[in-house]
Amino acid sequence: MKEREELLFRIIDLCESVSKRGVDPFDVQVREFFDRLDDILPKLKKYEDLYLDIQAVLGLADVVFQQGEWIKHKSSVLYLDPLLIMLKLHALQPQDLADVLAQSWHPIVEMEAISPHGIREAMEYWTELPPLGERWRGLETTEVLTGEVARRELARMGILSEEDFVAVLDKAWRELKAAAGEKEEIQYWDFIMEKSFEKTVIRAWLVSFLVSYGYATLELKPLEEEILLKPLPKPQRPEHALTFSVPISISREEWARRRKGD
Amino acid sequence: MTEEKLAELRQKLARATQLLFYRHHMEPGAKRWELKRALGRDYEQALKLFEDEISKLGLQLKLVREGEAESESDRFYITFKGRPSLTDARTFGWRIDDMAMLTVALAHILAKGGKAPLKEIERVLEEKFPRWRMESTIDRFIRRGYLSEDEEGLVYIGWRARAEVDQKTLLGLLLGKEEGEKSGEPKEEQTTKTQEDEKE
Repeated sequence: MKEREELLFRIIDLCESVSKRGVDPFDVQVREFFDRLDDILPKLKKYEDLYLDIQAVLGLADVVFQQGEWIKHKSSVLYLDPLLIMLKLHALQPQDLADVLAQSWHPIVEMEAISPHGIREAMEYWTELPPLGERWRGLETTEVLTGEVARRELARMGILSEEDFVAVLDKAWRELKAAAGEKEEIQYWDFIMEKSFEKTVIRAWLVSFLVSYGYATLELKPLEEEILLKPLPKPQRPEHALTFSVPISISREEWARRRKGD
Repeated sequence: MTEEKLAELRQKLARATQLLFYRHHMEPGAKRWELKRALGRDYEQALKLFEDEISKLGLQLKLVREGEAESESDRFYITFKGRPSLTDARTFGWRIDDMAMLTVALAHILAKGGKAPLKEIERVLEEKFPRWRMESTIDRFIRRGYLSEDEEGLVYIGWRARAEVDQKTLLGLLLGKEEGEKSGEPKEEQTTKTQEDEKE
């Protein structure tokens, strides 16, 4: 499994080095990589791996495009041996290099003028501009530094009890496993829904930690407009999988609408 | 040609002059669709007449295409018909070093097929120019449109260089150039890398 992931990452990285770092596209063995992708495709089960596979295929397609562009450039009148050009750039003095530019240079002729409309706008701006003293007068505000809310502060606010945070997470994880049951998945809203809006928000907050700390995964189904929560048998931090943040809005209206739906 | 037709033509030439000589917004010149809108369907005929007129002043109309095919976004510029001498170029505010740096950057990009990483260009330039001058000069080239840079740090030939520099001539001259040939310009303005710069 690790080997397959490594191969996918290696292909993606190689393709990126062609598009971003100017590596020769013909150094990439496109055919060979496609054959290997073809071999491993039936063995890819996880969505993360399939996503990597798509990225690798797109990357190789881009390499083929770059190869086409390279051939087009080589067959154009502008193509000259890059090595010869580099040698010349290295050998010539700045004066000679400047002379080369001057002999192939046709500077643009351009003029600047202000229109009557521009003059009118400038005049209005000038007459409405407050004196310098007024403009420099700062706003009377107190600067407050930003900071993190400590867990104790959360406890004081009644959001989190003095109970150990890990224990709270562990409890929420066990509840999630129980709620998911044999299906090993549950609708996000079904799990976080509580009798009061405040409790629902706290539960959603805990779920965000469960997912971030590797106790569970979130699966988004945009077409069905569903969010599935899947508890993991044991907490694990995703090392190779691509992770991203998912903002989920929990408004009082949404909560009330779903409560009525119950 | 009737008086009426002649007057209309004169009006079109005046409009073309305004559009092409004066800078509107950030870039000089005018796009094809702007000229079409201002000069009418037979804008190409009006532009031909306009070019004949400016040619008497040593100027030419230069078309820079956006892609391979003709497009409404293609841009027309007025450029020198001939080339300025090195002495003239210096009176435009260009230093010998700046011109040399632009030659190196353009030639490097062209040799690499139209794009090259900024770091690579800087490495080549560093062989001849002090870093502090090179960085500010590249920034200026990008601001003025001689070069363009994307988020990935790749540098391309900018819109201004595509309009002003004959790329084929530049590469041809570069390959045929021998050291010290035909230059004969005073060198007091150069700030090429010295031992002191290298110590820094």
